[in-house]
Amino acid sequence: MKKYLLSACFGLALLGAGGTAAVAQSFDWQSHKGATINLLFNNHPWSQAMRDLTKEFTAKTGIEIRMDIFNEEQFWARRATQMQAHSPDIDVFMSLASREGHVFDQAGWYVDLLPLVKNPAATMPGFDMTDFSKAVMDGETVNGKLVGLPINQEGPLFYWRKDIFAKCGVAEPMAAEDLLPAAEKLKNCAAAHEMGMTVPWSSRGLRSTLSYNLAAFVYSLGGDFSTPDGKSGLCQPKTLPGLELYAKLLKDYGPPGALNHTFTQVVELLGQGRVAMAYESSNEFSNIVHFPNRANDLGVKSFPPSRATGISKPAAIGWGISISAYSKQQEAAWLFLQWATSSEIEGRLVQAGVAPPRASVFNGATFNAWAAELPIRRAWAESLLAVARTGTGFYQAPTDRVPEARDLTGNVIQQIVLGQASVKDAACAGDVELNKLQ
Amino acid sequence: MAKAARVWWAPGPRGRPPGFTWMIWPAMLFALAMIVFPFGYALVLSLQDFVFGHEARFVGLGNYVRLTRDPLVRDAFVLTLELWLVSLALQLAIGTWLGLLLARSRRGRGLARTVLVSPFMLPPVVVGMMAIVILDPSFGIANWLLGQIGIAPRLFLANPETVILTVAALDTWQWAPFVALIVLGGYLSLPSDVFEAAAIDGASGWRRFRHVTLPLLAPTIVTAAVLRSVDLLRFFDIIYITTGGGPGYASTTLNILAYRRGFEFMDIGYATAMMAALAVAVFGTTLAFARIRRAVRW
Repeated sequence: MKKYLLSACFGLALLGAGGTAAVAQSFDWQSHKGATINLLFNNHPWSQAMRDLTKEFTAKTGIEIRMDIFNEEQFWARRATQMQAHSPDIDVFMSLASREGHVFDQAGWYVDLLPLVKNPAATMPGFDMTDFSKAVMDGETVNGKLVGLPINQEGPLFYWRKDIFAKCGVAEPMAAEDLLPAAEKLKNCAAAHEMGMTVPWSSRGLRSTLSYNLAAFVYSLGGDFSTPDGKSGLCQPKTLPGLELYAKLLKDYGPPGALNHTFTQVVELLGQGRVAMAYESSNEFSNIVHFPNRANDLGVKSFPPSRATGISKPAAIGWGISISAYSKQQEAAWLFLQWATSSEIEGRLVQAGVAPPRASVFNGATFNAWAAELPIRRAWAESLLAVARTGTGFYQAPTDRVPEARDLTGNVIQQIVLGQASVKDAACAGDVELNKLQ
Repeated sequence: MAKAARVWWAPGPRGRPPGFTWMIWPAMLFALAMIVFPFGYALVLSLQDFVFGHEARFVGLGNYVRLTRDPLVRDAFVLTLELWLVSLALQLAIGTWLGLLLARSRRGRGLARTVLVSPFMLPPVVVGMMAIVILDPSFGIANWLLGQIGIAPRLFLANPETVILTVAALDTWQWAPFVALIVLGGYLSLPSDVFEAAAIDGASGWRRFRHVTLPLLAPTIVTAAVLRSVDLLRFFDIIYITTGGGPGYASTTLNILAYRRGFEFMDIGYATAMMAALAVAVFGTTLAFARIRRAVRW
């Protein structure tokens, strides 16, 4: 009897130990209460909206947040400097893996998130990784590692003033080939000028930023940024029409000074009603429709497909948030990543015009109710779906020196617009420089 | 007579206490840590093929050889010199004129000095943002104002042929008042009897300015030129904010080129070599002006 009692006690003790182990492995939002994490973000609708929400994260987890937001170029410089110095001062940073993923991975700057995802003590129950759209998750996967969690999806969209088009009797451009004739008619339409339009077209002209917009012109008209043998392909006969169309719209129908313009000026011109058409990021939608009347008189859609090729293939990218390999607070940082990319938070960020990368949010009741309030919101959401379906994150010559390649591509367009070289000469000279980056 | 032994508290030659020379060491250490070390480290970086995220590789003078063969560097260097010469000439001419104007006006001099100080109290980033708002050809107010007086719109910062002149004009707007205040200070310290003698001898107007005022002010003007030259050769902020070096490469000075090479393309070794070359140019210019300063003293 004594033997049985001892066995029973031993069994209960084992059960107790097992139970303790099970408790130790359970997920707890408060597991890093009292910690402080540092976030380094790019100035973006997502980070601006996040600034107002982080108090809720602190209330939920007890983790304090220090957030720095910089404009894009300053953000890149600060992040690179701190990461190169192996500084533990950054725990979480925004990253555009399509631009820098390979270089950062080679440098060992990312934490691979897969072990954290698989750790039930670190990852909240029900955190559904399969809910993120496949395209953006592929973008966050570099050399088999999960380097970040997606926070948005974006791509450039075609915006046009329906009221000006109607007044001038110009049909909505249904194909890429319709853009030039439409611009020409609008330029000569007195009614458009009376309505405040100064020029028909606006898009990015600033060298380092324009490749994002250029992609749709190159791909949709049948071109490619690379040749079949992996070299730079701007000079290919099939690529030249896309370069020419982009440059001609800027040169003949764009605003004066367009070569210094990036999204801020394009948004301003479209918002103020000074242009009738613009090609700009889906991210800027909320900024554009904040201008008086724009929510009612604008149309928005994905880049019109070419009649010759039948395709529309714009740039499609997504920002992600990553954990620094030099962070001393990696598990606390992982809690932030989960919270910030949860369905609940993404659903609320929609109000700030952030396109959610989670399918459940995109198809959810909150998003649909928001989109149903205004026809243009519904059009924006459908355009984003089209961009996600047909777009690409690859829009420069093959190289891992992506920023430099995009800058050189931008220079080709600037030379054409400035009349410093013909389309072919600029493109072929650009290829020579781009091939040096391989 | 035997020489008396030195004690730490005893006064040294010319009354200086030699026993206290150890007190300069904190300052020396500070200078070593904050000036010599960063400069030495930059020189070491410039001898490496060092791209952020990759292992650095020693290449000796390879980056400097690359500098001499890079057409972008050559163009950027020429632009840097153009900007320096145009801006310096404008600032010295306008600054001297303003300074002398102020020196001769009795009323409102204090108010004028306060107004003159305000442009160079502004951070260059603010000046750059103001320039974008005012000079943008599409929505800036400058073209609207020109239109009101019948002048055709200008591209200003968006035209490769006018961008450097526009940037020089912006910097002149900000810094010519600084030159004016230096010239005003120099003028007020000049002996008045020289001017009285010149007046008695019948020199007036341009002749007095050419043969009396300007030679006497020359050391002051050269000092202003040194101060502005150092700033102008490493000019960065306004170009970075307004054009980013464009359109094309029309405003890509050596500083802008090095910044983009270093922080956007992460090619730190080469960018540091560019900066070392620029530092040599700045140092050389300062030395040249120091010689000129000695030549014009009176």
